[in-house]
Amino acid sequence: MLNCRLPAHWALGVGCWALGVEAMEPLSTISYQPSAARRFPWRIVDVIVAGIFIYAGAIKTLDPVQFASDIDNYKIVPWPVSVVLAFYLPWLEIFCGFALVVRLLYRGALSISTALILTFTFATVAAKVRGLDITCGCFGHASQHWSFPAHLATNLGILAALLALWVSNRSAKPL
Amino acid sequence: MTSSLVRQALILAALALLPGVGEAIYFRHKISWQSAIPPSELVTVAQAHAWGENVIWVDARPDEEFAHDHVPGALSLNEDRWNELLPQFLAVWSPGRKIVVYCSSLSCNASREIAVRLRKEAQLPDVFVLEGGWEAWLKQNR
Repeated sequence: MLNCRLPAHWALGVGCWALGVEAMEPLSTISYQPSAARRFPWRIVDVIVAGIFIYAGAIKTLDPVQFASDIDNYKIVPWPVSVVLAFYLPWLEIFCGFALVVRLLYRGALSISTALILTFTFATVAAKVRGLDITCGCFGHASQHWSFPAHLATNLGILAALLALWVSNRSAKPL
Repeated sequence: MTSSLVRQALILAALALLPGVGEAIYFRHKISWQSAIPPSELVTVAQAHAWGENVIWVDARPDEEFAHDHVPGALSLNEDRWNELLPQFLAVWSPGRKIVVYCSSLSCNASREIAVRLRKEAQLPDVFVLEGGWEAWLKQNR
């Protein structure tokens, strides 16, 4: 395993940089490792959240035109921006999902996933407040007829899981 | 720790760009960057009026709004009761007639959705979206 504190591994400094491991980090700050048994439930949460993001991203990559239309429904950004987001966001969700599963770039994936869910939730509430009757498009046609409470509950559930992962990850060794 | 988090996030964001750009290139002819509705699928109130009796007006708004008021002769066809209302619409439709779908205003989306479904699911040609929707029709006619 890559150990960025060992001079022999400093040649892999780019890898350390990418993974966000501080080469000069004192040993005492990262030596603590929660037991595998304690981590296991959080790994399950990791996989569930990752699966949701990968599924949501994959289904939207199949029909970016429809997703652009779904983004446009929120009336927050102009159409060209909706198109750019429709091509980009699904892949970002997929990459974050895989990063959560393999625990590579993990904190980056957690931060992006949390930011995405917060943005989606904000957009959903804003649309409701403005009286827009929209389909969320979060999971393609599967979510086409979701009610506002169902949509909001799903987002808040994912957000709660992500926040729990943040808390659980504070004591784990960073990758 | 914060800097490593930002680094990781930036790497993920950059990685996602690559397939995103690839997909944009692949779909470049299937999506318009100017408007959600291609200009060829939009029609103004004046143009629709010029088509005269050859037009079937489709009201994509919710039932209550249709019941309150609608374009004379328009048929209601909305997402909520699509399966129920489509057969009634198809009974009126005939080849060669142009279909103009409208919803509340410029900012609504229901007309676009119904127009797409009429083209894709019902396989109907000559389906247009009314620019400005019901509001535009009201301005021109009342």
